[in-house]
Amino acid sequence: MKCGIYTCIIGMEYVLHIAILVGIYLILATGLNLIAGYAGLLSIAHAAFFGIGAYTAALMALNLHSPMVVNLACAVVLAGVTGAVVGGPSLRIRDDYFVVATFAFQVIVFNVLNNWVSFTGGPMGLPGIPQPSLFGWTISSHTAFLLLVGCCCVAVLWICQRIVHSPFGRVLKAIREDEVLAQCAGKNVAAYKVLVFMIGAAMAAVAGVLYAHYISFIDPTSFTVMESIFILSIVIIGGAGSPWGPVIGAVVLVTLPELLRFVGLPSAVAANVRQILYGAALVACMMWRPQGLLGQYTFQKGGSRQ
Amino acid sequence: MNAPLLEIDGLRKTFDGIFALDDFSCAVGKSEIVGLIGPNGAGKTTLFNVATGFLRPEHGQIAYKGHRLLGLPPYRISRAGVARTFQNLRLIRQISVLENVLLAFPAQPGERLGNVFFRWKTSRTTEAANRRSAMSLLGEAGLSEKAGDPAEALSYGQQKLLSLVCCLAAGAELLLLDEPVAGIAPAMIEKILTMIRDLPKQGRSVVIIEHNLEAVTQVCNRVIFMDAGRKISEGTPEQVRNDPRVIEAYID
Amino acid sequence: MSQVLVNGIVASCTIALVALGFGLLYRIIRFFDFSYGIIYTLAAYTTFGLAHYLKAPLGLALVLGVAFASVLACSLELFIYRPLRGRNASASVMLLASLGVYIVLQNMISLCFGNDTKVLRSGSVNVGIGFCGARITEVQVALICATAILFIVLLALLNMTKIGKAMRAVAVDSDLAAISGVPVNGTILCTFVLASVLAGICAVLVSMDTDLTPLMGMRMFMYAAVAAIAGGIESPGGIAIGALLLGMAQHFGIWVIGSQWQDAIAFLILIGCLIIRPKRFVCRG
Repeated sequence: MKCGIYTCIIGMEYVLHIAILVGIYLILATGLNLIAGYAGLLSIAHAAFFGIGAYTAALMALNLHSPMVVNLACAVVLAGVTGAVVGGPSLRIRDDYFVVATFAFQVIVFNVLNNWVSFTGGPMGLPGIPQPSLFGWTISSHTAFLLLVGCCCVAVLWICQRIVHSPFGRVLKAIREDEVLAQCAGKNVAAYKVLVFMIGAAMAAVAGVLYAHYISFIDPTSFTVMESIFILSIVIIGGAGSPWGPVIGAVVLVTLPELLRFVGLPSAVAANVRQILYGAALVACMMWRPQGLLGQYTFQKGGSRQ
Repeated sequence: MNAPLLEIDGLRKTFDGIFALDDFSCAVGKSEIVGLIGPNGAGKTTLFNVATGFLRPEHGQIAYKGHRLLGLPPYRISRAGVARTFQNLRLIRQISVLENVLLAFPAQPGERLGNVFFRWKTSRTTEAANRRSAMSLLGEAGLSEKAGDPAEALSYGQQKLLSLVCCLAAGAELLLLDEPVAGIAPAMIEKILTMIRDLPKQGRSVVIIEHNLEAVTQVCNRVIFMDAGRKISEGTPEQVRNDPRVIEAYID
Repeated sequence: MSQVLVNGIVASCTIALVALGFGLLYRIIRFFDFSYGIIYTLAAYTTFGLAHYLKAPLGLALVLGVAFASVLACSLELFIYRPLRGRNASASVMLLASLGVYIVLQNMISLCFGNDTKVLRSGSVNVGIGFCGARITEVQVALICATAILFIVLLALLNMTKIGKAMRAVAVDSDLAAISGVPVNGTILCTFVLASVLAGICAVLVSMDTDLTPLMGMRMFMYAAVAAIAGGIESPGGIAIGALLLGMAQHFGIWVIGSQWQDAIAFLILIGCLIIRPKRFVCRG
């Protein structure tokens, strides 16, 4: 009987844990969806913004003992500025080269996080990140954290909806299909690209802050190119260019691989199998359904062929 | 004398040593329709590309209402009141016909990110007003039933008509139309030409690149003939058609 | 100092081989094919598997490894890239597909061989021959020679053979080439084979010199891309110069600030090149 209750409790904690992760990835994917799904700017740099958010929060919490809201604000601003740095050259650098440039940025950020040992702790990471506290209330249980993550998800999704259904969102869709036409319609395309990167990066930073406080230990291996590709896969498989695509993508890609645990695969193997599954799903999507499950955008450029 | 709306002076543009534009000068007045004709490769589209900021010439000047255009990015030139259509028809096919027109309206508060979150009322009011204007423009063009359809659902001729409507929505005073009636049915040609003919009455000027000489003769006050980047002849449609240099260039 | 030079040259040669293959491929398929990175890894691991587990002689293992990698590359082309091309898929779609392929294959390698580093060397670590105050191993010498030979062979192939002309034609304008009677799909297939051979030979030689990890291919692919973009992707000579630049810059960087910044150096060079010489999007009306 006791055993059964114990298993139930473990089970509940596990479900909450998965739900929190889904929430964090949902926020990440929504940000990337704005960049890649709505503005059409394919980027493999999202884990870098995620990492910048996480490390900013962690360093501030560990060294300055500042409240979480302040950390969040700083993380968002810093990531936003970095987003502008990445988005800026996007007008000068053409599509496929731009993807490579975002890859380059991602690796450089990883190198900095991994090598600047005195500041970021290097490969050892930053342990002992305190639990977040919101206006005096310390968030210690999984349930409370899920509530926090849930609120952030709602906020992020609301921001996304507002953007997408506004004239600003219309311009993004125009830029996605035909930049030249958008320019001729009087739109300052460069400014839009920078802004969308800033918003996406800011959202990734929010996810980073939540992640840092949840896991309470961060190291550079959570913020690699493979992580960026995973977030991109969530956006694509869930459906780029639709506000709900990232939601279903996060649910599917975070929870389904967890089922592998119950099949009895050892965890090292499970990690590889999980990647094989979403890699294969990515290829399948591109071959047969580039708009993903719920999406609108198929990554085909309209307008004139270049 | 009215100052010209658009003044082009001594433009030179080369690509790998070939003169796409060779000391080309012309002027477009207010409420004028100017036709730009010439064989393929004469430099007509290059002229449009330079005028709208997509290409930098090596030499020359362009002034619009007295302001220098060269060096300005395309979006600023568009905001100044110069609109263009493209030879191979550019539209945002994934969004609706109505949204294509809405895209073209200038100075929309809802396009500024701050206003999306902090000044909803203003954005919404302007958007509603723009919607009404867009529907009335589409109505005049005979496209109101298609307003909700994706732009790719329109026929080729209707799409060309739509790009003209977008130029009107932008409130442009100078329209640069690149082959607005090429490759479409006669009924649609007639419709588009009628719309173009009305534009001077609204105080707008038009420059049309066309190969359809009959259309050019019908709507244009003035015609410029170009070949190999140079202006060969200029005058009324009849004058240019009978100009021996033009006849010679066509035979060549 | 001279050791840095020697290391730099060896690195430049490895990068050059892969970059030449990458450039050859990119000019024809016009998208960044991330699966090229895993072809590299696969050649090395297949050779390792054959030599280590089946005790095949190293030469045979190398040939079979490179052959297997080429066959795999051709399969990818036949079953994934060609159908996508037939559907007029954009470069972004092809890039994403190749990324998916890379992930699948890299994890399969990890599953089969494990994530730990493997060694292809026979015998103990070779101290190498002394040369002008630096040490260079036989494998490294072989690498330099192989690069030189393959570079010349490549140039000869591109300029003097029918298939080379076909490759150049398709690279310039595939529609025009098709109309002129060039078998475009076959040419593309040959390009994949050629690129795989270059990558495979490089991978095996590098594995004999240093170690194998499942991530080696992605790293080498990115260095190759940097070299090709920096040197000018359109000409083999330019690519070779780009590789030299990158190899030397990295090893001088290692000497001055330490090997952990290797990647950052490569990518800063890349971003610099892309910003200074942007591949601009031009409106052609």
